[in-house]
Amino acid sequence: MTSLVTARNVSKHFGALRAVDDVSFEIEKGRILGLIGPNGAGKTTLLKALLGLTDCDGELSVLGLDPFRQRKQLMQQICFIADVAVLPRWIKVSQLLDYVEGVHPNFSRNTAEGFLAQTKVKSGAKVRELSKGMVTQLHLSIIMAIDAKLLILDEPTLGLDILFRKEFYANLLSDYFDEERTILVTTHQVEEIENLLTDVMFINDGKILLDCPMDSLGETYIELSTSGDNTAKARGLRPLAESEMFGKSVMLFEGVTREHLEGLGELRIPSIADLFVAKIKEARK
Amino acid sequence: MIAHQMTLIKRELWEHRSIWVTPLAIGVIVTLGVLAMLILASGFAKELDVVIFGAQNLAGEAERSAALTGFFLGTSWIFLVALAFLTVFYCLDSLYAERKDKSILFWRSLPVTDAETVISKLLTAAFVLPLIMCAGIFATHLVNLVVTSIWVSVKGGSAGTLIWGSVPILDSWLAALIVIISTGIWMSPFLGWFLLVSAWTKRMPLLVAFMPIIVVPLLEWIVFRTRLFATAVAERGDNLPIFRELDIESFFENEGWRHGIQDLSLLSHLDIGKFLTHPETWIGLVVCGLLTTAAIYVRRFRDES
Repeated sequence: MTSLVTARNVSKHFGALRAVDDVSFEIEKGRILGLIGPNGAGKTTLLKALLGLTDCDGELSVLGLDPFRQRKQLMQQICFIADVAVLPRWIKVSQLLDYVEGVHPNFSRNTAEGFLAQTKVKSGAKVRELSKGMVTQLHLSIIMAIDAKLLILDEPTLGLDILFRKEFYANLLSDYFDEERTILVTTHQVEEIENLLTDVMFINDGKILLDCPMDSLGETYIELSTSGDNTAKARGLRPLAESEMFGKSVMLFEGVTREHLEGLGELRIPSIADLFVAKIKEARK
Repeated sequence: MIAHQMTLIKRELWEHRSIWVTPLAIGVIVTLGVLAMLILASGFAKELDVVIFGAQNLAGEAERSAALTGFFLGTSWIFLVALAFLTVFYCLDSLYAERKDKSILFWRSLPVTDAETVISKLLTAAFVLPLIMCAGIFATHLVNLVVTSIWVSVKGGSAGTLIWGSVPILDSWLAALIVIISTGIWMSPFLGWFLLVSAWTKRMPLLVAFMPIIVVPLLEWIVFRTRLFATAVAERGDNLPIFRELDIESFFENEGWRHGIQDLSLLSHLDIGKFLTHPETWIGLVVCGLLTTAAIYVRRFRDES
């Protein structure tokens, strides 16, 4: 496996605030990593460090480059959508394509125009005349027409309705993603991207709480639904979290093997959202 | 690299439409004014009446030449004043607007360095704006010469002799071009300062940019009892070291233009060598370089989140 991103002891301080606090991780080629954390957890700061938009302490390498010092070379190979609002409102769609074509060696105008032809976005329209959903379609059309090795999406669907959100991810998977490409995505709507992810990383207070491939999540984390006498037995195995649902106790276990839990009730792999809540609560204890 | 810069500069022209709308508007207003004057001054006279820009019966060659040169200088001056305002507002907006509308993250998501971006804005302010203004000046002159020629011809006069032969057009244009470009270079420390303010200030760039002109001399006077800063700023604003010892006012008062068309050569009053060898020209460029570098660093290191 080839590491696309390597971070060793990366920190970023704003005065006394440790926005990113001594984190180390690797992202391999061909993965879709979900970076998940509450507001102010340090997600955006970490992404900015990866994109070379802010400097940081520690060792950080993206595609073998130092992001802050080699930002221009890096930007030829990676793309990002930071938020839907960032496209300049005064620009015309055709001018935007002209501009990206002029500055980006890996941009294919034909591809972008092909994507745009499937939308209602007209080339003579100004960004300010487009709806929020159309602006996202425009941005995504440009991004997907760039032959990039790494795509970073920071809350790409914020403020969009469910139809657009679904379409956004569907387009991303069908038209963009392949084993040569890697996607890093942050979002609050965890449930919507859960099925796309190959890896998941939780971040809270600048620290990484969890970093694991989705397919091995079930080896470490198990959710048990139980009732009656089994509840007390299960509690004895020290669950990470417990909640009541329809008269049953739902417990989430970390590092407890399946054999220990079998017979106590229904077992399943927890959802990312439940696991996230449990891990954050644990971290705040 | 050059193609890259061209794209960046084109972007500036898309965003700041006033760069080309302003000269166009001035040109139209001047032309309408000239037409109005032509009609008002001699619209109803049937005899040959050489009206040039409102002045009647300028039969003498020297008077005609002076009237034309006056028109050339006057219109150029309007464009220059507009250019000054346009440049100040353009520079102050150039790195401020992208932060205000939050598009900076999009611009920075593309493979363009902060240095390239800031330099494209400096080049636009120092050269592109002046060149577009020059084009506006030339076009306005040309349109008005043609309009006046048609007028004179209709009245039975020879436009070739009376209008086109009376004034060294190319000479005036070249002089205007040289003065405008050298003014941009001479004023470059201000451009650098405005770019820095634009990259740095959180609000009210205009106020922040001009505040030091009041505050710094005041503090300097209170602390050191000197006026070095105020003098430096005033001299930079006043003395473009490209003119030979020419006093425009006395030139017109003494009617120096009566000596003939050769005296109307504006070019002969310019000394490019003097400008290029003047130490303050180069000091200004160094100051501009330092301030622009500071603007690049502010854009690069500033975290907007």
